[in-house]
Amino acid sequence: MDSRFFSKLALLVSLAASQGACGRQAVRASEKQFLANQVMVFDNDPHETESDQHVLTNREGAAGGHGAGGGGCGCN
Amino acid sequence: MQLARAIAIGLLLAGTSLALADDRSEVSTSLFEEKRAGDKGGLTVVHPQADVGFDLGRYVSIDAGYAADAVSGATATTYQVDAVSSATRFSDLRQEGTLALGFRGRRSTITFNAGFGTERDYLSHSLGGTASIDLPGRNTTVALAYTHSFDDVCDHDNGNAMPLERHALIGAEPCLKSGGFFGKDDPGTTRWHDISIDTAQTTLTQNLSPTMNMQLALFGQIENGFLSNPYRRVNVGGVTAQEHIPDERARWSLTARVNRFLPKVHGAVHFSGRFYDDTWRVIGGDVELAYSQYIGSSLLLKIHARVYQQSAAKFFKDAFFYQNESTAGAYFTGDRELSPVRTGLFGAKLTLINVAGDKPVWHLFDRLEFNLKGDVLILDQLPADSTLDNPAGISNQFLYGNGLLDAVILQLGLLGSY
Repeated sequence: MDSRFFSKLALLVSLAASQGACGRQAVRASEKQFLANQVMVFDNDPHETESDQHVLTNREGAAGGHGAGGGGCGCN
Repeated sequence: MQLARAIAIGLLLAGTSLALADDRSEVSTSLFEEKRAGDKGGLTVVHPQADVGFDLGRYVSIDAGYAADAVSGATATTYQVDAVSSATRFSDLRQEGTLALGFRGRRSTITFNAGFGTERDYLSHSLGGTASIDLPGRNTTVALAYTHSFDDVCDHDNGNAMPLERHALIGAEPCLKSGGFFGKDDPGTTRWHDISIDTAQTTLTQNLSPTMNMQLALFGQIENGFLSNPYRRVNVGGVTAQEHIPDERARWSLTARVNRFLPKVHGAVHFSGRFYDDTWRVIGGDVELAYSQYIGSSLLLKIHARVYQQSAAKFFKDAFFYQNESTAGAYFTGDRELSPVRTGLFGAKLTLINVAGDKPVWHLFDRLEFNLKGDVLILDQLPADSTLDNPAGISNQFLYGNGLLDAVILQLGLLGSY
């Protein structure tokens, strides 16, 4: 499998996710009790994330792309 | 050399986490201890961090951060069949500071970041920005982040020497700085090279159900400039020359993460998978599984396991082949990050949560978390070339430890909001 295969796969996954995102409202505001819990927030502890990435990027060639903080209740 | 990548990626993380900043501060220290073969000891890294973020009115946030690396331990002077017997000891101090200014609207945030990092032989200046928006329904968040780094790396002044004639930088050579912020050449001894790094990431976070959310992240980075480690030597056909690798690298990765809350047990499961590819033909991927469990109302335990594997860069060879077959005119490297390797990471994190009642915790915080985390790392080096044609083997070309566990990572932290 070459990188073109994975490029196409990435595009398909992105398109599928976009379709899901633009669909009907998945979760109502009154249903976000669990999504707002800290265990559901991506990278809730910035230092832990930074420290983990720091260790891994110094030992692995595949750096970056971990993702971003946020999520949970879905409100900026 | 790792500072640039760390700052570029750190700025992306800092920018995207500013949305969480709402008057909060965090201090932590992590300790990394790696076993290394030979009689020069292991490698120790102490990594303290401090961040403070607060709101300036309703729409503006400011965040300042500081981090350092105190590194000491054994390092190989030359990549060769037996790198262990020529190992030496070294120490270094890296420091970095970041500043972020954020603007928050009803459904969107924009953040501008700046960072500066310094060590004996490396200077990093970074500027970046992050924008994120919640789409209608507030179940989808889209974020875009970009950072540009203008870096300088100190090197031995090799003039116009050909790659196999170049000498590596040594610790006794001075790396002069102008005002502490810019490199200053010392003709005939040392010179500074430019490195340009562009890093971008787009992230889509989606609530899938009342108990499940997911995130997709597409990451890209282009590095341009002197990307070799100026200290590293490689034994090429009996000649010991400074490492020589391409001066441009483009990389990308795609990450998918899913969280699922389990209301009946008051816990959550987490999954993460990533695919990585770059123009040096390093192809890698990792999978991580984790589980969070509340114990009562003030304790949270998280356990996790991660496995990772990558292929070698197209110009990487096991040391025996550089040493005996030579590669005159081509690239040569002794960077173990460019070798085929797989790793396993296992650990647990315990969080003590203290939520203020009538009075603030410690007279200041609405909420205070104490975190204790421990991980073990297993490194497994793989052959890049035919083992049948390599009588010397690969067991001594790097300073890996030979035990079951190669490294231990401990982290202590305090995270408070006020």
